[in-house]
Amino acid sequence: MLSNVLMPSSAAEAAGLLRDGGWLLGGGTVVMPKVNTGAVPVSRLICLHRAGLAGITVNGGSVSVGAATTLGALGADDRLLFLHPVVRSIASPPVRNLATVGGNLFVAQPYGDLAVALLALDARVEVVSADGTREVPVGTPVEPTEVVTDLRFALPAGLWRYRKAMRRKHNSASIVTVAAALTVTDGLVRTARIALGGVAPRPVRALAAERALVGAPLDGPSVEAAAHAASEGTEPFDDAYASAWYRARVLPVHVRRALLSEQ
Amino acid sequence: MVSRIVSLAVNGREQEFIVHPGMSLLTVLRDLLGLTAAKRGCAQGACGSCTVLVDDRPVPACLVAVETVEGATVRTLEGVAVDGELDDVQNAFLDDFATQCGFCTSGMIMTAEALLAEKPTPTRAEVVEAISGNVCRCTGYEPIVTAVLDASRRRAVRDGRPS
Repeated sequence: MLSNVLMPSSAAEAAGLLRDGGWLLGGGTVVMPKVNTGAVPVSRLICLHRAGLAGITVNGGSVSVGAATTLGALGADDRLLFLHPVVRSIASPPVRNLATVGGNLFVAQPYGDLAVALLALDARVEVVSADGTREVPVGTPVEPTEVVTDLRFALPAGLWRYRKAMRRKHNSASIVTVAAALTVTDGLVRTARIALGGVAPRPVRALAAERALVGAPLDGPSVEAAAHAASEGTEPFDDAYASAWYRARVLPVHVRRALLSEQ
Repeated sequence: MVSRIVSLAVNGREQEFIVHPGMSLLTVLRDLLGLTAAKRGCAQGACGSCTVLVDDRPVPACLVAVETVEGATVRTLEGVAVDGELDDVQNAFLDDFATQCGFCTSGMIMTAEALLAEKPTPTRAEVVEAISGNVCRCTGYEPIVTAVLDASRRRAVRDGRPS
């Protein structure tokens, strides 16, 4: 049963409190439903609202987003227009006014579409614990005593693609999410990072699709080949939104549509 | 258990109350302050029936641990009508039959108020996106979208703006 909600004023203080147990509380969109039903297995929550972790810095091509920045704030920042379709594909505006960028890294698929985009962007995550600060690639598991404080990535230098297939146009979980950062010169794909959501318990890289694409033109036949390779390494699942069979069936379609910017 | 005294400005009035750890803003509004317009639907942020404005932004009140927003400004449906006079959004909901059972109405109107404050003349698509977190099982949404657009026009006419 919950006995205390703590409001540390820094990430280091939060990490110190976390050593003695408890859950971090970001925007509350994941934790509060559990609190409301009494299903919280911890006695204290450590809230990050006042820990100074909100804010977005864009310096040249480098972006730094504080972990407690809301999705709403991210989706309203005109320096990050390429991320607006990602933000608008997640939940509803009122929920986005609470949900945080850091929290999105920890929600289970088929949610967490921003985490998919951050994987395609090769984002780095700053993590603070009582032992100090470290920076890890996004997707690296962190300890229960660590606090994610900052996300860092470069603005895409080449092409950016994002597509989320869902049951409704707004406020629905992912059936398949595709995020991709590509560089193309002289008609050939030079680098490709393609990340997928909705098709595994966690966001995954489509490494085989990336390999199929690099060195090839970004045209119908090579994208089609990459799209079919994208299934490698996925573990589609059944849920209320789609069956595993359906997800596997439509994955190549949405990878193709994303890469070729088809409607 | 560490209970705390929390103060909020609710509908323009400073309020102070004692809360248990993790108590939601919705529980404070309904059970401590008697403001029952915000409804307890899903208690997980999925239905939108408890939507209120916190520092002018619409949020599901069930997802806000009230201790974490000490000092905030809160606006609920009870704070929309002035001296018993319904505002344009409320009148449009009435006139356009946008309410049936009424359970979603409070959240719908607060979401609409936030939208119109930010975008006084939204497109139909913008209204649909804005209310995408508010579930209505009666109307099929069309009368609600129409009412929000109607409210936008009423305000434009009253303020002498193009609609």
